[in-house]
Amino acid sequence: MIKHLFKLIWNKKKQNFLLMTEMLVSFIVMFAIFTLLVYYYQNYNRPIGLDYDNVWNLGYGSPQGMSDADSIANFRESIKQTIISMPQVEGVSFSDANIPYGDANIGTMIAYNKVNWPSEMYTADDNYQKVLNITLNEGRWFSKIDDASREKPIVINETFKERVFGRESAVGKIMSDAAFGKGTMKVIGVMNDMKDKGDYAGPQNGYFRRMDTSNTGGGGIILIKVKPTADAAFESRLYKTLSNLMRNTSIDIKHMDKERTKRNTQLLGPIIVLLIIAGFLIINVALGLFGVLWYNINKRKNEIGLRRAVGASGAGISKQLMGEALVLSTISLLVGAFFAVQFPLLNVFNIASGTYIIAIILDILFIYFLVLVCSLYPGRQAAAIYPAEALHED
Amino acid sequence: MIRLQNIEKVYRTNTVETMALNSISLNVAKGEFLSIMGPSGCGKSTLLNIIGLLDAPSKGEIKIDDQKTDHMSDKQLANFRNKKLGFIFQSYHLINDLKVLDNVELPLLYRTSSGSERKKLASAALEKVGLSNRVKHFPTQLSGGQKQRVAIARAIVGNPEIILADEPTGNLDSAMGNEIMDILQYLNTTEGATIIMVTHDENMAKRTHRLVRLFDGSQVQ
Ligand SMILES: Nc1ncnc2c1ncn2[C@@H]1O[C@H](COP(=O)(O)OP(=O)(O)OP(=O)(O)O)[C@@H](O)[C@H]1O
Ligand SMILES: [Mg+2]
Repeated sequence: MIKHLFKLIWNKKKQNFLLMTEMLVSFIVMFAIFTLLVYYYQNYNRPIGLDYDNVWNLGYGSPQGMSDADSIANFRESIKQTIISMPQVEGVSFSDANIPYGDANIGTMIAYNKVNWPSEMYTADDNYQKVLNITLNEGRWFSKIDDASREKPIVINETFKERVFGRESAVGKIMSDAAFGKGTMKVIGVMNDMKDKGDYAGPQNGYFRRMDTSNTGGGGIILIKVKPTADAAFESRLYKTLSNLMRNTSIDIKHMDKERTKRNTQLLGPIIVLLIIAGFLIINVALGLFGVLWYNINKRKNEIGLRRAVGASGAGISKQLMGEALVLSTISLLVGAFFAVQFPLLNVFNIASGTYIIAIILDILFIYFLVLVCSLYPGRQAAAIYPAEALHED
Repeated sequence: MIRLQNIEKVYRTNTVETMALNSISLNVAKGEFLSIMGPSGCGKSTLLNIIGLLDAPSKGEIKIDDQKTDHMSDKQLANFRNKKLGFIFQSYHLINDLKVLDNVELPLLYRTSSGSERKKLASAALEKVGLSNRVKHFPTQLSGGQKQRVAIARAIVGNPEIILADEPTGNLDSAMGNEIMDILQYLNTTEGATIIMVTHDENMAKRTHRLVRLFDGSQVQ
């Protein structure tokens, strides 16, 4: 019977072409959607890698009227001491603007063994790890020891470490700044990835430079870890105190947990729009499939009647029609899968192969399910036709 | 072989009720060649469909080979048609997307049989109707007479005891019609098939053993 189905389908290849094209297009569109969904889902499931609760971001502009490094370092130190002496504060850390869930992205290139790697660059001081509760897989975070080191110390994240060094230990390796071509950097630690660009963002190369608190340029952000009891009254007190201290610059305070939520909604919006579009697409494809299969039955009424006359049962007819739809979809899926497999093979978009593979599998199951559902009712209907009625000569 | 008792068939649509058959009783013996005649719309096709188990009567009883058929399931009926009955229609009802040989093999697909066996039987059936040289053609490449011969080959490929033919020569000129009639007569006399044939042609009816006339759903002869 399978051979018979193939013969029938082959001899009707022209009519079947349209249906198969429709299935193929749905497969490809759904492949894109499934890939995105699987990608987002996998990212969502990765550990966040940082503790954003009760962390406040205090942004400040560049300190004016100070030009020498020492006085700037002193100024920063006094701010730090002022904040940390408050009973509601657990920790304070200086960072550049590239903080978790912030608006800044700083991309750069760093090199190892003459190979250039694009990487996100962060700049933070010795307390950053503790304030955000970042865990290290290897080595250590910045500390006073680094004051004396010849090479600039850096901490790289796990993703970066795996891509560059594989299973080897990274600590002690010397990398260089490929963007500006100056200075060598020594890896002193490997940290777990932090999903600092939002819960749905994918893994990304990243490294930290040690902040030089005597740097004269620009403002930055002070991350303040507060106790859970820190309330709005404390926040306004903090604001007043610091405004007085930093008279020449503007400051603002944000809460990291709120920034995270904001960031996630920003990303979630497009996903929801995409899902709605996908939903409409699926309905469209389903109606199309249903229509074609339904039309087939009416066009093939005589054939159905004849098959009934020569020995097909109603259930047999239904099975045959569904079998044809499944054979057609299998051919379309094979073609579609051939194209889809190129994505992991050619490593398009820097997404892990596993993500594509899962998307392909989900897509195949989905299309089969769709075809099955759409052919179920027409098949049933065909089975219910009385043979005499189907054979009626018009 | 075939026993009809008080068969009645009523078609109901939303507005009208049509009494297509009115208390028909009929016995057909094994090996008999019977023809049915009557004006258009008198119920000939309806009667043939009921005998062929393609349609159920509204009332009455049909026995084929001493087997009651009214309690058979859809699957049993299909099986029964497959084994015992062969159908020939005025408009051939060939599947245009299948080659001649595949069309003839069709009834065998609904039995357990191997591909080579199917091919052998289908070729033999085509040989009987004189179409051995057209097996690779598609139905659209054949003349009406040739199509009807393919349909006959398909009807006899499973070696059924009963052949039901609804105006098999209706679409053909008299020469072609006679050829088809020759084949049917051969199947009846040489192979012992029981044949019931609906026809509008007195000459064709004369070549059969017995004639049944219908008028307005009732048997008048
Ligand atoms: N499916 C149906 N629904 C309603 N009425 C029907 C149906 N099939 C047949 N009839 C009616 O039953 C009657 C008998 O029809 P049937 O097809 O048996 O006639 P026939 O003798 O074969 O005619 P013809 O010589 O034109 O083929 C007709 O009046 C027809 O209109
Ligand atoms: Mg008729």
